[in-house]
Amino acid sequence: MAPSDLRPQQELIAAIQPALHVPQNWNYEVDSPLYKAYVHPPHDVGGQFDAPGVYEEKEEEQWELNTYVTCEVLGWRGVWNSEERRRRADNDLGYALYLGIPYYGRWILAAARMLVDKNHISLAELVEKIAEVKSRYAQK
Amino acid sequence: MPRSKPLEDPPSTVVQGRFKVGDRVRVKDLPNLFYSRTQMYVRGVVGTIAACTYQDLIPEDEAFNRSGRLEQYYIVRFRQKDLWSEYPFDQDTLQTESPERWLEPADK
Repeated sequence: MAPSDLRPQQELIAAIQPALHVPQNWNYEVDSPLYKAYVHPPHDVGGQFDAPGVYEEKEEEQWELNTYVTCEVLGWRGVWNSEERRRRADNDLGYALYLGIPYYGRWILAAARMLVDKNHISLAELVEKIAEVKSRYAQK
Repeated sequence: MPRSKPLEDPPSTVVQGRFKVGDRVRVKDLPNLFYSRTQMYVRGVVGTIAACTYQDLIPEDEAFNRSGRLEQYYIVRFRQKDLWSEYPFDQDTLQTESPERWLEPADK
């Protein structure tokens, strides 16, 4: 892409992120820049403007460390590799989840989806287990 | 270290349905994750079994190409007023389909 085309494309990508509402409803006319914006990988954010925010240093929490170890162990056991992990956690979740949930939240969602996709666990079992654990915590 | 292997699909079995026509059931509100065919607007609402239809795979399995485990499906009838508080007509109903795992006895 020519440098002169880059800025409009970045603005277009930024404009269809969930934080900014752009009316759209199964458009029949999708021109080339808009198509490229739709299929743009969510994690490739270089050059896009962001709203001002405060960034704070933060220690990792226990669930984040547990998530990291779980994902690494799944790698050691050959269930996925690091590029698949990146593909699932940075790309496949889509903009709303990529931008909306914590870093390790994306990792654990990606790991769960991978285990369901590859038939290591069933979605029904996983959902019912989550419900059981939630009700156990609710009773405490 | 040995590679982990995916699960085998369970053998296909015929199951005994838990509910009969006329039973009052509540739709469970299980977490939404990756895929569900259970509409938000029926979750937690009490309805009546209108028909015991057939046994089939559950959506959560079939959508990920798992097979083998069959479950009884039901047609559940709801009062529209129970689904939409502002609905104006007492007699109108809505029917929808559900596999057994999404239903529990209404007295529970």
